[in-house]
Amino acid sequence: MLNAKLLTDEILWKSLRKGDEQAFETLFERYYTALVSYGNSFMPQSDRVQDCIQDVFVDIWLYRQSLQEWVVVKAYLLSCLRKRMARTYQRERIFRQTTSLEDIEFTMDFSVEEQLISDEITKAQATQLNRLINQLPPRQKETLYLRFHQGLSIEQIAEMLDIHSQSVSNHLHRAVQQLRKEWKGDFMLLFLLILGNM
Amino acid sequence: MLHRDQYKNIEDFLSDETFRRWILFKKDEMGWEEWTLENPHRAKMVDEARIWLIAMRVDDAPIEQKQIQQALQNTWQKIDNVAQEARTPIPIWRTKWWKVAAVVMIGMALGMWYKQQSNREVAGVYPTLEKKENEGLIEQINNANKPQLITLSDGSSILLQPKSKLSYPKSFEGNERKVYLSGEGFFEISKNPKKPFYVFANEVITKVIGTSFRIKAYSDELNVEVVVRTGKVSISSSKAEGLLQKEDVLLLPNQAVKFSRKQLAFEKITDLTKSPPFSSSLSSIEQLSFEFTDIPVEQIFKTIEQAYLVEIDYPAAKLKDCYLTTSLSDQPLPEKLKIVCESLGNNTHYEMNGNQILIISNGCN
Repeated sequence: MLNAKLLTDEILWKSLRKGDEQAFETLFERYYTALVSYGNSFMPQSDRVQDCIQDVFVDIWLYRQSLQEWVVVKAYLLSCLRKRMARTYQRERIFRQTTSLEDIEFTMDFSVEEQLISDEITKAQATQLNRLINQLPPRQKETLYLRFHQGLSIEQIAEMLDIHSQSVSNHLHRAVQQLRKEWKGDFMLLFLLILGNM
Repeated sequence: MLHRDQYKNIEDFLSDETFRRWILFKKDEMGWEEWTLENPHRAKMVDEARIWLIAMRVDDAPIEQKQIQQALQNTWQKIDNVAQEARTPIPIWRTKWWKVAAVVMIGMALGMWYKQQSNREVAGVYPTLEKKENEGLIEQINNANKPQLITLSDGSSILLQPKSKLSYPKSFEGNERKVYLSGEGFFEISKNPKKPFYVFANEVITKVIGTSFRIKAYSDELNVEVVVRTGKVSISSSKAEGLLQKEDVLLLPNQAVKFSRKQLAFEKITDLTKSPPFSSSLSSIEQLSFEFTDIPVEQIFKTIEQAYLVEIDYPAAKLKDCYLTTSLSDQPLPEKLKIVCESLGNNTHYEMNGNQILIISNGCN
């Protein structure tokens, strides 16, 4: 396995289960950045994010023989990290004696990809839409992130968030439709304002 | 998953990885641009989906390689702490050397002067070396005008160029793998650190642990050239007693060595991009890309057919909708086929008979 960096997740996972340290390291290197980014969305700028990621991989290595054979590695890692962070958060809540029953919250804000904007109209539209997306409830925002940024499937997201897959796709569809309606409305308003000022 | 002709919601587009790659990274592997231009209704949806992607940028703070390595070390440390009694320390071989593969090219160019001066010498070491151990060796001579595929018992594959000869054992006994080359061949060696692979070509011995490389050693050429693309290879001469430099020459990526058969000396070149004669003469297999991203398996088979000059029979109808993302670079042919079959799923395997390859499959999952 000299060229592990080029192998697919599936093959690396298989080797990892058999105790291949290089496969383990390759997957670690491949997904570390994505995991830090996802973890930071729950506990921004915290050392605990890194601790949690390391712990996830420690468990994977120690219990490699009992790992499932067929997993989508990225979804599995994101899911493990989420669970572990939720547990950490719960423990802290007990110590801090707060009464909140909320799960960990996805706080990441999306930004606008300026580099792909070529004209003012696109810019106004994208900025507007971006504002609306960022106002979504954390769960919905997280679903958008997992689906459209990390590329997870509906089923994988359902398993991660512990809800039925049909409700994931419903939520997703409804959120997108709702946003579109608001956005189009807002944009018409904006358009009229611009016209009115001319 | 829906076919894109059936996409009617924005989220259908947004969850299509190839679409995202096209918009965000301008990588249009699926011909999205053409597809969009086919009808104005599509263009409208694509335009909106594009704005969505623009509005949903995620700022992943870049993490330096150093930090990742640090985190990885910490993780191993934790693992060691947890399993201290049961586990031995982290093996030394988990180092960079191990992670690389090499492409070596050895070329020989013999000038007329040399040929006249030392006609006897040119006969070279290969015949003598070969004679010593040639019991039970299979000898392949390629008299055709196109490269010939040879598969060795250890899963390594070699494309032997015309007018070239390779001798190799039916199976590799002991803890070494040795073959003898006269002429030119492209080698892809199956990885087995416990059994290093040696190629004897004229006075030069190339030792590899597992990698791919090219050796050009026609008996009427003056120099031996070794070029490494990635990885590590060690070069020595079988005429070590006459050699000024007694040690083996180690080559790292983008380094090369030229062995002068007359002076029995190695000349090391540390940047091969500056030495055009080394990098130029690539064969077709070296020019083909084996990096596949969401490519129909049919096309992958075509690439393999072209590279190794083999024929692949496969159930075309059953594999019609199978797309694979995989990297087959630097793998010998049997390994390439194995990876493709494994990626297609449990019910797929291959059989190989000379230049004929048969894929048995019930389709992909």
